[in-house]
Amino acid sequence: MTELATMDFHPQPQAGEAKPWAFPAPERGRLDNGLTVLRCHRPGQQVVAVEVLLDAPLDAEPAGLDGVATIMARAFSEGTDKHSAEEFAAELERAGATLDAHADHPGVRLSLEVPASRLAKGLGLIADALRAPAFADSEVERLVRNRLDEIPHELANPSRRAAKELSKELFPADSRMSRPRQGTEETVAAIDSTAVRGFYEKHVRPATATAVVVGDLTGIDLDALLGDTLGTWTGSSAEPRPVPPVTADDTGRVVIVDRPGAVQTQLLIGRIGPDRHDRVWPAQVLGTYCLGGTLTSRLDRVLREEKGYTYGVRSFAQVLRSAPDGTGAAMLAISGSVDTPNTGPALQDLWTVLRTLAAEGLTDVERDVAVQNLVGVAPLKYETAAAVASTLADQVEQHLPDDYQATLYRQLAATGTVEATAAAVSAFPVDRLVTVLVGDAAQIKGPVEALGIGEVTVVAAE
Amino acid sequence: MPMGHTATAQAGSGGLTATEHRLANGLRVVLSEDHLTPVAAVCLWYDVGSRHEVKGRTGLAHLFEHLMFQGSAQVKGNGHFELVQGAGGSLNGTTSFERTNYFETMPAHQLELALWLEADRMGSLLAALDDESMENQRDVVKNERRQRYDNVPYGTAFEKLTALAYPEGHPYHHTPIGSMADLDAATLEDARAFFRTYYAPNNAVLSVVGDIDPEQTLAWIEKYFGSIPGHDGKPAPRDGSLPEIIGEQLREVVEEEVPARALMAAYRLPHDGTRACDAADLALTVLGGGESSRLYNRLVRRDRTAVTAGFGLLRLAGAPSLGWLDVKTSGDVEVPVIEAAIDEELARFAEEGPTAEEMERAQAQLEREWLDRLGTVAGRADELCRYAVLFGDPQLALTAVQRVLEVTAEEVQEVAKARLRPDNRAVLVYEPVADETDEAEDTAAAAGDENEEAAK
Repeated sequence: MTELATMDFHPQPQAGEAKPWAFPAPERGRLDNGLTVLRCHRPGQQVVAVEVLLDAPLDAEPAGLDGVATIMARAFSEGTDKHSAEEFAAELERAGATLDAHADHPGVRLSLEVPASRLAKGLGLIADALRAPAFADSEVERLVRNRLDEIPHELANPSRRAAKELSKELFPADSRMSRPRQGTEETVAAIDSTAVRGFYEKHVRPATATAVVVGDLTGIDLDALLGDTLGTWTGSSAEPRPVPPVTADDTGRVVIVDRPGAVQTQLLIGRIGPDRHDRVWPAQVLGTYCLGGTLTSRLDRVLREEKGYTYGVRSFAQVLRSAPDGTGAAMLAISGSVDTPNTGPALQDLWTVLRTLAAEGLTDVERDVAVQNLVGVAPLKYETAAAVASTLADQVEQHLPDDYQATLYRQLAATGTVEATAAAVSAFPVDRLVTVLVGDAAQIKGPVEALGIGEVTVVAAE
Repeated sequence: MPMGHTATAQAGSGGLTATEHRLANGLRVVLSEDHLTPVAAVCLWYDVGSRHEVKGRTGLAHLFEHLMFQGSAQVKGNGHFELVQGAGGSLNGTTSFERTNYFETMPAHQLELALWLEADRMGSLLAALDDESMENQRDVVKNERRQRYDNVPYGTAFEKLTALAYPEGHPYHHTPIGSMADLDAATLEDARAFFRTYYAPNNAVLSVVGDIDPEQTLAWIEKYFGSIPGHDGKPAPRDGSLPEIIGEQLREVVEEEVPARALMAAYRLPHDGTRACDAADLALTVLGGGESSRLYNRLVRRDRTAVTAGFGLLRLAGAPSLGWLDVKTSGDVEVPVIEAAIDEELARFAEEGPTAEEMERAQAQLEREWLDRLGTVAGRADELCRYAVLFGDPQLALTAVQRVLEVTAEEVQEVAKARLRPDNRAVLVYEPVADETDEAEDTAAAAGDENEEAAK
């Protein structure tokens, strides 16, 4: 039973005239020390974002020292030839800056954000960190201990635990991708300052690095600033490292990571597929969005808005590592969590959504709405300097041209329903998906086996 | 067309300005122009949050927020999401102790659509609200609770500490997510009554920020919102006032399946909107905000007894704010070791106050946080609503950073001395157990400043 409202109603308004907006084009240059620089002026963005990419990928880590790239990345902000660890942190904060660094399959990335008025200070600190990191024994030792302490917290987190298990399942055991990005208890414990310095000396140099600077650069002489800071960093020349191919076993199967008593089951269903170098990428973006990009996409329309099994399930494509020759790969996955008693029914529905998609395809309306959203949100998505810098850095890291994102928007707009359907169906084939469930095996194993989505094995949580 | 009275723009910090308006039905409107990017943010704050909930119906404000996305007289089912996203916009809603907000960020040429959608549900939600939506969103919210609180380590810490820090019967004793039992008990009639009581134009503030034509925007607002009747049925929220100091150390020890021991605490602090609250923010930043703070240096760098150590501030206007301490121990370190070090650091800070350099760092950090918040049209729209709803003056948003920069070291020391003491805190200790715990109370996760529930 409903009740009448007493307001005046008006018809739904029509859109006004769209104002032109384009993804910003960076200016590309190179410093005398070989450092590649991309810069981009964004009026009004008072917090400047700086990203520095180092060609120090995880596959370069020495055998048995998984995690050394991570410890090195963290150690960059633990003291230099000018400041102790405590002083360095204090100087950063005095500049109102934040500096994050992390290591991933394509390389190590440092992200600095600093108010434009203190850019000189911020660039000076990041340059010191790269040029002359202290890597003091005691600081590295502390970072190692700290990292060891973090591991149990990650294992206790259902989504982190699921990600770890999926990597182990998908990739060959001798591939770096099969193992945790930040190392295991055994490998991290073996890391010391000598190992960190060795990794740094072998892989960190301006000639194979790129800096991206984005923000309101009004009144800033960026060339002079860069010359005085990142320009003083020196190193030998080197060829870019070759990128090994990515392979994965996506034979359909189910692994349950047993967490007795869990009130929900964490799902992570994945395989690998094309990255941005592949011509199918725009169609894959569209199809993946239609499948599970938002709460009005196919998965949530059933699992959340009809059945109430979940707070939300998403499908996504996330580039793992790209290569200049196009042999890279992306992780294609569906993730979310569902309540324990409805785990079987939720997976049943999920598979039905995938089968229906394959049998009947997407509708033109779905495709249109997806394009309008993906293209239309660009001006809001890229309002901040940090968002622009991050995408420009992704492009460099993935060996893509600087106008890639701008071109992608045109390609999305030109992609039809048939192509988007084909891409979504080949991204998520029902018999080639590896399903990881972190949950109470005693309650969910039987119902999941009954679905016939692959052999079910159970592993202990720790 | 009648617009009610109109206020003029005042200059704010950083060159930002905002104008204020009021419709005849009581809807307050704040507009702020910024033509750098062709986007416009719409933000609507309703002056209702979990503090308005009654016994037995915790979680209702948040559950209701979900129902606001289930259609209204002219908007079918999930149409609100579909139309905004199809127009290239993004949107959501969140519920906290003190308010419920709804927001859309749109390409500038789609602004009118967002206003039409917000007006439709403000005026006609009950034309569409039915049992099916109610039952479905009840299940969604229960799964939200499981995902964010019940199924992650330390996940219910915030709930437990809040319950300790605000006494039984106090409007802030429970958090916005509510209890499973109360979520189960809520009825469609409860939701209807909630809407009739709190969702009125004179209980809301609407802000629009970005690449807008203010005159045209006001005309649209009048057109779509102007005929929604205002009403005054809203009861005053229960009194949230408390003594400045708790007066004793409250304590709860939780034995659960968690990866490490943890020490958490909530300190009772001055109300948001006061200079003393800004001083407390600076004190917590010096003590526990970031990797050059006193507690981080002491526990993580020097003693090496903790994996993480930090302070956060939950600003509240209708009750004392909360200073939130979160320390996870390293290896086999026992909680009393951590506690002794913290008490020593707090006592020393109260005795000495911050150094000039610490003040400079803390102010620089808080200034940058403000630049971040005001750096997007959506962030600015939210802050304008916040100051309008909680403090009656949106202009205060534009000068907030200036006020933080004016606070002196003496004021920081004073608030630390008065408030950051053992007899003014609720302490929550986590002790891991080896095996799984018993049934439903096996909880959860990275707590801290999680005081918002979102629809999406």
